[in-house]
This record gives sequence, C-alpha cells and structure tokens, in this order.
Amino acid sequence: MSYRIGIDVGGTNTNGVLLKGAQVLATVKAPTDHHNLHAGTREALTRLLAALPEKERGPVELHLSTTLATNAIVEGKGAPTAVLIIPGPGLRWTDLPVPFKLYPLSGYIDHRGREAGPLDREEVRRAVRAVKADGYQAVAVVGKFSPRNFQHELAIEELIRAEFPELAPVTLGHRLSGRLNFPRRITTAALNASIAAIQAEFVRMVEKVQDQYQLGKVYLLKADGGTLGLQESVHRSIETILSGPAASLMGAMALTAEIEDAVALDIGGTTSEISVFSGGEPLAEREGAVIAGYPTLVPAFFSRSLGLGGDSQVTFDGKQVTIGPQRVGPPVALGGPQVTPTDAVVVLGGAALGDAKKAHAALQAMGAPFGLESRAMAEKIVATFAQKAAAAIRSVYAELNNRPVYTVSQVLAGADLKPKRLIGMGGPAAYFIPKIGAELGLPYQVLPHYEAANAIGAAASRPTFAVTLRADTMLGKMVVPELDYEAPIDRPFTFDREAARQEAIRQAVNYAKKMGVAVDPDEIEITEEEVFNMVRHFYTVGKNFNLRAQVKPRIHRVIP
Amino acid sequence: MVKMATKTKLGLVFFPAFDWAIAPDHPEREERLLYTRDQIREEGLLDLPGIVEFRPQIATRQDIERVHICVPSVEKVCTESHLIAAGGTITAGELVVSGQTERAFALLRPPGHHALRIVHGSRGFCTINIEAVMVEYLRKLHNGRLRVAIVDTDAHHADGTQDIYYNDPDVLHISIHQDGRTLYPGTGAVDELGGPGAYGLTLNVPLPPGSGDAEVLYAVEHLVLPVLRDFQPDLIINAAGQDNHFTDPITNMKVTAQGYARLTELLAPDLVVLEGGYSIEGALPYVNVGIILALAGLDYTGVREPELPPGVQKDGRVHEAVVRNVAFLQEVWARRQEIDPAAVFGGGNYYRRKRHLYYDTDDIHEVQVEAIKMCAACSGYRELHSFAEDRRRKQARIAAVLLPWHACPACRQQAEEAFARLAAEPDWDDVYYQNPADPQRPLVSKAGRGES
Repeated sequence: MSYRIGIDVGGTNTNGVLLKGAQVLATVKAPTDHHNLHAGTREALTRLLAALPEKERGPVELHLSTTLATNAIVEGKGAPTAVLIIPGPGLRWTDLPVPFKLYPLSGYIDHRGREAGPLDREEVRRAVRAVKADGYQAVAVVGKFSPRNFQHELAIEELIRAEFPELAPVTLGHRLSGRLNFPRRITTAALNASIAAIQAEFVRMVEKVQDQYQLGKVYLLKADGGTLGLQESVHRSIETILSGPAASLMGAMALTAEIEDAVALDIGGTTSEISVFSGGEPLAEREGAVIAGYPTLVPAFFSRSLGLGGDSQVTFDGKQVTIGPQRVGPPVALGGPQVTPTDAVVVLGGAALGDAKKAHAALQAMGAPFGLESRAMAEKIVATFAQKAAAAIRSVYAELNNRPVYTVSQVLAGADLKPKRLIGMGGPAAYFIPKIGAELGLPYQVLPHYEAANAIGAAASRPTFAVTLRADTMLGKMVVPELDYEAPIDRPFTFDREAARQEAIRQAVNYAKKMGVAVDPDEIEITEEEVFNMVRHFYTVGKNFNLRAQVKPRIHRVIP
Repeated sequence: MVKMATKTKLGLVFFPAFDWAIAPDHPEREERLLYTRDQIREEGLLDLPGIVEFRPQIATRQDIERVHICVPSVEKVCTESHLIAAGGTITAGELVVSGQTERAFALLRPPGHHALRIVHGSRGFCTINIEAVMVEYLRKLHNGRLRVAIVDTDAHHADGTQDIYYNDPDVLHISIHQDGRTLYPGTGAVDELGGPGAYGLTLNVPLPPGSGDAEVLYAVEHLVLPVLRDFQPDLIINAAGQDNHFTDPITNMKVTAQGYARLTELLAPDLVVLEGGYSIEGALPYVNVGIILALAGLDYTGVREPELPPGVQKDGRVHEAVVRNVAFLQEVWARRQEIDPAAVFGGGNYYRRKRHLYYDTDDIHEVQVEAIKMCAACSGYRELHSFAEDRRRKQARIAAVLLPWHACPACRQQAEEAFARLAAEPDWDDVYYQNPADPQRPLVSKAGRGES
C-alpha cells in the first residue's frame, strides 16, 4: 500500500495530510509563516511522518501545493526580465499588451511555420549586450509562430549559451506551450524566466528535505490540478501558479463519489468562486490562466470570482439589500463594524457563532426604520445573497454556452453545458447552498467542511501534461514544440489521421518519459484534432494536422 | 478577469465553418479561413481590450424570407451553414444597433453577395444574401425606418445585393469591383444606376484589371466618402471581399493588406461582412488582421504579406479609366434628383426589364421578367416572372409580387390584385407574395400547385 503526503501552503494556514491509499491517516494544520515558508512545510512534514507506522517506513511520495510562484508574480518579486522577441509583421510590437521590456529582433516565421525572413545573429548579439547593459538577469526568447517553427528560438538559446553563459538558462516560448497566441506566450515565458531563480532555490531546499526525511518522489501541484516533478519544475515553474484553487477543486473531487455535470460554489469570506464540472471533469480555461491580470497559456481550471462572501458588507435602503463587493470587517457577531450575511445566518439560527445578541441588535437597527424586525431583515439578506449567487452562476453558464465554436455541427448542437447539481464548499456554504439551489431549481450537496481538503486535493493529484503535434504533409514536416521535436514526414501521401494520432500518442509518451513519468500509450487521449485537406489550384496537394494529446486526467479517490 | 472600462470597440463574429464545403476541392471549402484563424489567434487579437468574439446565431426561415423568394422553399435551397452565415451576420448587426459594440465584423462563410432576390440555387458560391438578411432584420426592428449604405469592395460585382436593393430608396448600394467585361458575373457597369424608385442609389465603379491600392482608395476618397456624407445613412456596411488582393487566384487585381486596412479606416464602417477572397494563405490572414486592427482603431501599419512582388505598391498614379468613371458618377450623384424618370425609364405606368441570369455554381439558367410600378407616392410594387431550368432540364416557373417598405395604399391594393390574378393563372408552379412591412401574414405567402 502506497503512502502519500499532501501539503498545501495556503495564504493563512498550511495544511497537511498523510494518506494510505484512500485512507486519511493523519492531518496537520499550522499557520503559514510568510517570512519562512520552508519552516511551516518542514513542521507539517515532521508531524505527518511521525504518524507513519514504524514498520511501514519507506519512501513516501510528497505532493506540494505552494503559493511560491503565485506570490512571487503577484507581489512582483521575480527577477527583472527582458524578452527577446521576433515579432515579424502584424500587430506593432510596441502595441503588444505585455508588461515586459521587449527587445525586437528581425526574422519572420509565417503561419505555416515557413521562414519568410532570416534571423540576424549580429543583431541578436547586440540585443543581448543591451539586455546585459540594461541590468536584466533573466531572459526569455519568444518568436511569433514559434510553435510551428522554433529554429530561431533554438538558435538564440545556443548563441546565449555559447557567448553569454552568465544569462543562461533562458526560457524559450515554444517549450511552454504549443498553442498559438504570441502575446500570451511572451507573458508565460517572461514570468517563467522571472521566477526561475526563486524556484531553483526552492527546489534545492525541498531536495534537502527529501534527503533528510528519505522521501520518495516529490511533486508540485499545477493550476490544472495535475502534478509536475520537482526537478522538472525548475524549467516550467510557471505551471505551478494558482495551485491553491486547483487543490481545493481536486480535494472536492477526491472526496465526492460522483460529480458528473455540476456547478461548484466555494463561498469564502470576501469572495466566492464558481467552478464548472462537465462529465465529472472540471472545465479548463479556454486559453490559459490569468494571473495578476496577465493572460497566460498556463493550463488551468476555469473559475470565476464573485464579490460575494460571508463577510461582505450589507446595506439596506428600505427597498433593496446590497451585498458586497467590499468587506469592511468580520461579522458584527464576532465584533465587526457592519452587518454581514453571516450575521443574518446567526439571527436565523443557522450558525452558532460569536455573540448572537449583537447580530440581532444590528439587524434590528438596520430594518427598524423601514418597519422590519430582525428576522425579516435577515431573511431578506439571505434571499438577496441567494439571488445574486444564482444570477452569477446563470451568467457563467450563458458565457460558457456562448463560447465561439467553429463548426456547423457545434453551432447546431447549441447549449452543451447544463448543471445537474449544485455543490457547495466553504465555511458559510451549509446555510446558503440550499437557498441558491432552490433559486436555480437544482438539487444540491454541501461538502462537509474539511480543514485538510486542499491538502487532500494535492495528495490525490496525478501527473498531467499535454503535447501539440503539427504536421504539414505539403511541407513534409512535423513538429512537437514542447519537445523541440522536428522531423520529416517520410511518406506524406500515406500520413493520415490515424498516423497523426499514433505519432501524437508516441510523442506524449516520450514527453512523459522526459518528465520522469512512465505512462502506457493507452493512458494517452487525443483532446483536440483538426485535419484539413490542402487544395491548391483545384488539386489536393496535402493535409495539415493539429493535434493535442494528453495523459487522461485521473485522481486518487479518498474516503472522507 | 479582464474588466472592460469602455464600450467594446469591435465585436467579432468569427465562423470559419470548418466542417462545410461546396465540394472538397472548391475554393469555398473547409480550409478557407484556417490560416486566418491561425493568424488571428497568434496575433492575440482576441485578448486585446476592445475586441470581443461572439458566437453566431442561426437565421430562421422568416429571416431569409424577408429578403428572398426561395424556389421551391428556404429548406430546399439552404444548408445549415447558409443559415449560420446569415445568422452570424444578424448577430453582428444586432451588436451594433443595440450599442453593445461600436462596430462589428462578420468574418464568416459561405458568402452571399451574388444571391439575388429570387433564389433557384447557388451562384458565384452564394445562396443567401447575408448582408441583405441582416439589413432586413434590422429594418424590421426599426419598422422600416433605417437608412443603410452598403459599400461592396469585393473584386466581383455585387450583382445580388444590387438586385435586391435596385429600387429601394432607403438603401444606397455602391460596388467597387474588377471591370465586368473581364470577370464574373459580368455586370456592374457605370450606367447601372438603380430603378425608378431609387435612381442614383445604385453606383458601380468598375476598375480595370491590374488596379491596386491607388485605384481603390481613389474611388473611396473621391466618390464613396462624399456620397456617404450626402446620404447620411444610419448604418454603413462594408461587404469586404478580399479577392482584390495581388495573390488572389481567380481575379486580376493588385490590392495589398495595407490597402484594405486603409480602405477600412477611411470608410469607418459600422459593420464589415466578409464576402469572397480565395487566396487563403497569401491574402486572407493578413487582410483580415489589417481590417480587424483598423476597425479596432489600432495601428495596422505593421501588417504585411511575406513578400510584395515588384509593381504592386505603385506610386499613387491612378488609372485614367477610374478617374473618368468616378467623375461620371459624381455628376450622376449631384444630379440624381433632377432627372426625369420618363426620360430614363420610358413613359407608361411600369418600367419593364427582361434578364437572363446564370447560376454558375449550380448550373441553372433563369429568365426573369420584371415590372416595377412607376409610382409617385412610393417606390412602387413589383411583379416578377421567373423561368428556370437546371442541367437535368428540370424546370421551375414562378411568379412573385413584391411590396416595398412604405408602400402607398394604391400599390398595396394593386399588388393584392396582381397576386390574386397570378394565383388564378394555371402557368405557375408557385406564386409568391412578399410584404416586409406586414406584421400579420407570413412574409412570403404561396399560392402553389407544384410540389410542397
């Protein structure tokens, strides 16, 4: 039986859990020390390992979810980063919506990955010298259409390694994502480069811990709920952003028997997070995560934040109750300055919390000028809360069902997402979720509050990764950008859909191996597949293929 | 989440119909907007503040019947992709008239500007006139009180749109295209100027083969912009075919992506609708990015094709035939209200014309006889007789009576009588009656003896 430890370093608390298969053997909780993240992690680890039966001592897998990368980016603590870009023609590079210092280079790759203009090595040298002179320590290199042809990026990496080793390693855009979106690729690569040093230091620290406690493999949680090997994270640290919310959803999934098509609402103090499950899987962001306002290509769960929580400020003008989006303090019942939805719950007897008398008095004062006694006032607040949450959920589904689609059959299929259940999480969920479910006409389920849910989510997660295959039989070439793989297509006339699938699966297995994970081909699935006949002058002269292959998402179940 | 501080500049209704083709090797095939999609995504245009993408709606039979007489029925001549292209164009129109976005671009396929009022099948790759379906939808919303200008810049003459609005005093239609004597569909000469109810509101600027940015921009600056200032439309629509491009395989023009972007900037249309354009790799990705940037008010001067062959961007000297045609049309425009209808359209109560029409895509021949009532009180009802035969010698004989928006009581009554008379004649497979303003009865009522 395998042992796994999950540790979630959250904003307030660090939670840890020790699992034996699907069983929870121990949980720990300690306040997060922001000045010394490592100390909290060590402490949690020590206590969890102490719970390990003596005779079972052996390599224990560690799954870590940390706010390290997220905080470094949000707080702007990353290294000053310069980006060498090969923008080619198109949107003026000065208009690119990216907040980094850009050094434009000549060179032009077109939409099919053909070189339409060469790289100028002397110009690259001049630019790198300028980067150094301007005091930048971290460098990313990103070309337009580099997922289709990454030779320019590779040539620049090689030049820097040979002539400016003090700036190596650099982050290359094409390795982080095979998706097309030049500005997002710039942001993703630049953020990755900016936090690389911090991540490397963290990895060294965890390696020491790994040795000291004789741990087995160590994994870090990613924004898409999967894991990334510790050593591999040095080059792809950007993927570990936003792992906290992902851990929370993974926890919900691990602890829930069947999720199917459901909407999840995680009600917090200031905000609530809406997530969507379809066929039991959490929906992903279409392009990638947005962090600190920067759109990226980092795979992440879809979520929408709502300025509505248990501690939101409540006002009443005699007709309408207004809730949020601000929070001015804790509930009145807990000594706060202003009425909150939690106070309404306390008045209605839904929670034994703090001083109920104070809550009563505050609601009485709020309703009295308009002839409402405290209970009626409380009911009005709870009803408004439920209506606001239900409206937000409806608008999320409207947004998702209006996502642009590009085929006739998808348009005819119409609205494809529909929740069958409402799942509530978070402290105040128990009281609000039934009312929100009634507003939506949905059955509901409130997940028991589980202090260690995030840590369980981290422990329950498994590796995820995806590769992109682009094959163009007219050019006789295929590429897998994530792997720096480029190869000729030997028999372009027999390279068909099936051949492309097999190739994509083979490459995904290779990629897994590179990431230190052994997977079988039958664990790989094709998630995106486009095949186009290429016709020139009324003759079919080739095909082009765009495929994405990933390891099938899985999760370890945990018995609550 | 990215929050929008200001009103969205541009709504993009992008629908490449990746699973639909006229035929596997036809220019109007799955692959057509693939490279455009790749370019738009890679440029990151959909993340720019001020540009938002929307999903197309599906047009209904009623939406189509506000414009067309489909023979024998909408269902028989349309595929779903036609309904989505028309619906997506409606979506774009709604975005603008509702104020949700400042402008909108219906970047979708299949196109529509060769589809005439009567539809026996597909011609010039077009079955349903997507701009007209949108215009009629919006006019219905505004009870017919909407003045619209359509500026068609496809390399082929917009004969379908011209046919639909030939006699409509509230719709100005200007087509700039490669001279019809050298290219399908052959029409669009400078002297095609509209029917008796809308004389001078159809304007055609034929350009000699080989024309480039200079010629197109000259026509826009010296004719289109002054005419638009006079006409004062509520809505300017650019039917933006992209086959004037120097790489287009089926035309002979030399316009560049920069030329298209500048044209868009000058014209400042409320709505842009893609029409033709079959240089799917060399032109469309760059032209569409140029148009999107221009519409969003962003700098488009960095957009450029991989290589511009010599002689493409000329020194600004404009072909003299263009200067001459523009001068002629300026004169027509200035004096359009002074002309004597009898002198142009002949005396009598009706203006009659007989046309032979060819559906190249479906190989159908049609003979159409049309009578337009010369009415002083409105633009006049119309009676159409149409005889079509396809390559298997299957025939269709139909008659139609059309009422304009704001028809006068006399025309309404005479149209009803004409419909009753035609319906009693044994010659027709079907007789149609179309009244866009009638809120009660179906837009197209049929008196049929044929199938259906």
